[in-house]
Amino acid sequence: MTIAVLLKQVPDTTAKITVSGGRVDEGAVSKWSMSPYDEYALEYALQLKEGGGGDLVAITCGPARASKILTDAAAVGADSLVHIVSDDSGMDSSNVQNLLASAIRKTGAEVVLCGKQAADTNSGSTGPGVASILGFTCVGMVSEVSMEGDGFVAMRTSPSGNEKVSVSKPCLFAFDKAATEMRRPNVRGIMMAKKKAVESLTPADLGVTMEGSRVSLESHSAPAEKPPGQKFEGAASVPTVVSKLRDEANVI
Amino acid sequence: MPYDALDFYDVDSLLTEEERMVRDMVRDFVDNEVLPKIEQACRDGVFPDEWRVELGNMGVLGAPLKGYGCPGLSYTAYGVICRELERGDSGLRSFASVQGSLAMYPIWDFGSEEQKNYYLPKMASGEWIGCFGLTEPDYGSNPGDMITRAEDMGDHYLLNGAKMWITNGTIAQVAVVWAKLDGVIRGFIVEDGDEGFTAPEMKGKHSLKASVTSELVFQDCKIPKDRILPGVKGLRGPFSCLNNARYGISWGAIGAAQACFDSAKEYSLSRIQFDHPIASYQLVQNKLSWMLREITKAQLLAYHLSQKKDAGTWIPEHISLAKMNNVDIALEIARAARDIHGANGILDEYPVMRHMANLESVKTYEGTHDIHNLILGRHITGIQAFTRTLE
Ligand SMILES: Cc1cc2nc3c(=O)[nH]c(=O)nc-3n(C[C@H](O)[C@H](O)[C@H](O)COP(=O)(O)OP(=O)(O)OC[C@H]3O[C@@H](n4cnc5c(N)ncnc54)[C@H](O)[C@@H]3O)c2cc1C
Repeated sequence: MTIAVLLKQVPDTTAKITVSGGRVDEGAVSKWSMSPYDEYALEYALQLKEGGGGDLVAITCGPARASKILTDAAAVGADSLVHIVSDDSGMDSSNVQNLLASAIRKTGAEVVLCGKQAADTNSGSTGPGVASILGFTCVGMVSEVSMEGDGFVAMRTSPSGNEKVSVSKPCLFAFDKAATEMRRPNVRGIMMAKKKAVESLTPADLGVTMEGSRVSLESHSAPAEKPPGQKFEGAASVPTVVSKLRDEANVI
Repeated sequence: MPYDALDFYDVDSLLTEEERMVRDMVRDFVDNEVLPKIEQACRDGVFPDEWRVELGNMGVLGAPLKGYGCPGLSYTAYGVICRELERGDSGLRSFASVQGSLAMYPIWDFGSEEQKNYYLPKMASGEWIGCFGLTEPDYGSNPGDMITRAEDMGDHYLLNGAKMWITNGTIAQVAVVWAKLDGVIRGFIVEDGDEGFTAPEMKGKHSLKASVTSELVFQDCKIPKDRILPGVKGLRGPFSCLNNARYGISWGAIGAAQACFDSAKEYSLSRIQFDHPIASYQLVQNKLSWMLREITKAQLLAYHLSQKKDAGTWIPEHISLAKMNNVDIALEIARAARDIHGANGILDEYPVMRHMANLESVKTYEGTHDIHNLILGRHITGIQAFTRTLE
């Protein structure tokens, strides 16, 4: 069984984001990391591989710098690495989905894991989009997945209750925050990762003609500044504070 | 606030990708598994066993040693590991230094094939803990005059004497002990449970509280013949171990300094006195920029030394300089950081006082600050000043 996991490199959640000329200034991003939901997908992909054997292919689509997350994936146990090299930040989601779907088809994977959304764009369309192109069953907001017989059992956890579903192949799981964090690599894994080749593919290699984006990005802008905090002193202000907490902050 | 490792000259960009991945792995371990537990470990005076397990799982023990289940990383990677561990706590780094450089290394370099095959895989995986017994109650800076003796009894050796200040002693399965056999210093492998061997823990430390420090006591301790290290005689044995450990400390101290700088920077930006953040005052900025200056110099020193270590073009005096300088500045930075934190600086809510107290030990062990001055003095002048004859 071939398992594919889709990974995206995003600015680290701790990195400072600046906007200049109506665009996020990527050059100013101090640290790039694997998108957090993708880390959960990778961890469960590793568990599936360990449970049922098979090959784990890690796939990313992005500029040259993005291959770093493939090496990180190899360090924890991904078997092969596919990098769809694209510098075109103007690509819309459907372009990305087409590229990823073609790469998955090429690997022959029948089960795909990914994050429910990427930490930079938060579109949330990749998983469902790729599944629909491939005709795979899509299960979203997954927090756990395991093999059962020929198919899979997935948990969907939410504050209002849990749902357990079973699915047969071919299928795609889009991960929410999951029960187990991505494992830490070890020195042996890191040394092996260095030796694993990254297969670089262009859209042409995948036979995908990039149609003009249907969604075009007009501009980015920084969030509005938060209003300054309010300060109250003395016992006399208690009623005001209580009413603000109740009526404005909705916390009591 | 997430940890922001000061690297003003981007010295880490000189690391290989593999070395950076090792750095990130260890940093993640320290963030998630060490820092949340360190203060409790210090209060309880214990080295948490789960850290031993995870150091073994990560595969960082005996980092630069090759073969026999050892990681086979570069000395540069070993330095980076020490730095990241000591950013957490000097006691954690001490554990790794002793295991790798002081216990595994002598077996790896001076042991028989059988000894290497038997001990090293178990020590690299963290299953067995090692310790290194050189210092004695009456012989610290001057280990050459040690009293501990081994006697050849035909079918075994008999060990008598006592070691003191031995890191990991009480929790170790394997002790590499230096003792005189017919007046010549030799290395012996003593195992936990050997007849006549005890390792009581030393209590009451104000420094390296999360590290176990012990005495090793040998009373007619019987050692099988195949437990002597065949490959070395004299002080060269323990000193070659110390060279590696001291090299690691020259990196480790930077981690402690970076942690103190990071905390001092954050604190000074948020602490308001006289209506403004204390970071806006020149005296505080002077302290911070001095820290930045010294950390940057220490990083360049450690990195260049690592290249010499990997290339094999180093001399022990190079290591003395780096150990002495980097621990010295780390201790001064910890003190200045403690000062910047005001009264908060004495609380265990901040890491600065813990690092400061730890670094007092680090300044003393592995050759005191002044012993390294004397080593350099001898190198410069050709005159040894360790001892003199009183007229
Ligand atoms: C927490 C901790 C862990 C340790 N772990 C280990 C371990 O695992 N294994 C081990 O074998 N040892 C260990 N040690 C011992 C350590 O290596 C010794 O403490 C160190 O070598 C100094 O010896 P000393 O304490 O006897 O000090 P001394 O040698 O008595 O030195 C006292 C002072 O005198 C100075 N001095 C000494 N000689 C001279 C001289 N000729 N000229 C000028 N000044 C001089 C020193 O610089 C120092 O300031 C550890 C120590 C500590 C604190």
